[in-house]
Amino acid sequence: MIDRYSWWEYVLIYVGLALFLIFALAPFFEAFLVSLRPLDGLFSIPYRFFTDDMSFDAYISMWKSVPLLWRYMLNSFGVAVAVTLFGLMAIVPAAYAFARFEFKGRDALLGVFLAVNMVSGAVLIIPLYKVMQGLGLLNTYFAMIAPGTAFVIPTGIWLLRSYLMKIPRELEEAALVDGAGRVYTLVRVILPVAMPGIMVVAIATFIAAYAQQFLYALTFNSVNELNTLPVGLFQFFGRQNVVWNEMMAASLVGILPVMIVYVFLQKYIVAGLTAGAVKE
Amino acid sequence: MGQLSMRDVRKSFGTAEVIKGVSLDINHGEFVVFVGPSGCGKSTLLRMIAGLEEITAGDVTIDGKVVNDLAPVKRGISMVFQSYALYPHMSVYENIAFPLRVEKIEKDALDAKVKRASAILKLDERLKHKPGQLSGGQRQRVAIGRAIVRDPSVFLFDEPLSNLDAALRAEMRVELSKLHGELDATMIYVTHDQVEAMTMADRIVVLDGGVISQVGSPLELYHKPANIFVAGFIGNPKMNFMPVTCLSSTEKSITVSLPNNAEVTVPVVASGGVVKGTELTLGIRPEHVLPHAGEARVETKPTVVERLGIHTVIYATQEDTDAPFVSLLPGAAPVAVGKAAHLGLNGADCHLFDTDGAAFERDVALSDVDPSLLTQ
Repeated sequence: MIDRYSWWEYVLIYVGLALFLIFALAPFFEAFLVSLRPLDGLFSIPYRFFTDDMSFDAYISMWKSVPLLWRYMLNSFGVAVAVTLFGLMAIVPAAYAFARFEFKGRDALLGVFLAVNMVSGAVLIIPLYKVMQGLGLLNTYFAMIAPGTAFVIPTGIWLLRSYLMKIPRELEEAALVDGAGRVYTLVRVILPVAMPGIMVVAIATFIAAYAQQFLYALTFNSVNELNTLPVGLFQFFGRQNVVWNEMMAASLVGILPVMIVYVFLQKYIVAGLTAGAVKE
Repeated sequence: MGQLSMRDVRKSFGTAEVIKGVSLDINHGEFVVFVGPSGCGKSTLLRMIAGLEEITAGDVTIDGKVVNDLAPVKRGISMVFQSYALYPHMSVYENIAFPLRVEKIEKDALDAKVKRASAILKLDERLKHKPGQLSGGQRQRVAIGRAIVRDPSVFLFDEPLSNLDAALRAEMRVELSKLHGELDATMIYVTHDQVEAMTMADRIVVLDGGVISQVGSPLELYHKPANIFVAGFIGNPKMNFMPVTCLSSTEKSITVSLPNNAEVTVPVVASGGVVKGTELTLGIRPEHVLPHAGEARVETKPTVVERLGIHTVIYATQEDTDAPFVSLLPGAAPVAVGKAAHLGLNGADCHLFDTDGAAFERDVALSDVDPSLLTQ
């Protein structure tokens, strides 16, 4: 095989990658170190990354300090799964329609969807509060799921639409000639073929849903049992001090579901992002 | 039954009319090939028959029923696509069974039909494979299997062999012709490959710019092209054309003068007579050009010589006019690039076209077998 790059290009590439990795992983690494160290030695001067008294004690004591921690984690996971499922229920048919049907205002509508994504969720929080209040949904899981779903749909439609557009139209025409209706074709032919693309969207949606939970839970919910993890973590902020090591431990345990989902479905992401890039 | 007819069928995309009034009758059991250059509307016409494109005006009738507004499945047609359009996540068996599953056919009957189709197409061993594990030819057979399993009255093929290599294409041509005989079905086949058209068709429909240029048997199109477009399109290498001037005409022939002032009498029907001095176009197929012989001589200078063993193709320029002139001589012809080649042609092999490009009907008997060979 012929080398595509010269040695100095390789050096540049790997230095670049290393810098990126350091920036991306340094917070996690530091959080992990903090979670291992006792609280009283955390802010010693000079600052020390490694000490002799490191242990996993915080990973045990955090469940006692915040008794509902497991509940917050479960809520977070549940809300993210619900947002993903409800989101996909809207994204898949909408993306299919945008990819395949000719209708008036299609491109304008796509632009509107993109514009919605440019508005920060925080800007809409007061009107949304009024809506939730009016509907009597405050202090329910639905108050966190509904706006969350609405916010992930536009990106999902854009992502999946571009994937669906790469699926040859002839597949659908063949199914049409074979007597299949639109819905049958979508379910039996298009969805299985589009599965890598749908997986990418599902994972992206799940991550987005997991990340966006702070604002909605903080604003639309005041029932402790219904809180999601980002809000629950605030209970590590005491009157006198912040239990940093336990909070970091809880944060790291909290991102495990996302990491597990990502690792298991990673092959779909890679396949989904590269499908159609080369002639197979 | 597989009777199909089109009456003044038209198709427009926005303001652009791509099918400009096509009328055609296709009988049961016929193998009809739509042929023409890219953009002539042949695929669009096929898709209109299939129900994949709306018909802007006119009627398409299948077995006596106007199908303009019917869904594809209700038209009694099956279609094989250029890209095969196999369902990649399904096995060969499931691909072939797909139309039957949609119809909710009983399991045993479905199995029997799939097995029958796979036996005809020699796919028995491949039923559990996915399309990705098959060769191009096998994939095409699966696509055909999916089409025949429904017992349609009309089969539609949209350039089905164009993705295959030359050897496989030749093989599949023979298989498709055999299949046509076995199924006794009406087949409409779109291609831009004139060899496919000439070898497989009962009748060829030559399309040009959204209209039918000529309909006829392969030999009719070869020997009696209706116009200059068909004459140039059918035959490979292409027919040579040169401007000629009418010297005299009778009911049964026209004598013309070539650019090099050579004279030749072409036996064509000229019942109205042609005025002396009229500008005409003479056509001669490269394979009808003779070395060192013929009623009219053409002096040429070869620029490229292709030796194919069985014959030699000579791309040359005419000495007097520098116009290109292609000839196909049998065997290893004694010609060389840059060295004058003395060629000739006989009036009986020539075609004549008027200023509008319409052909004067040639006085040729159409027969599958050359009668002169029977007497030997």
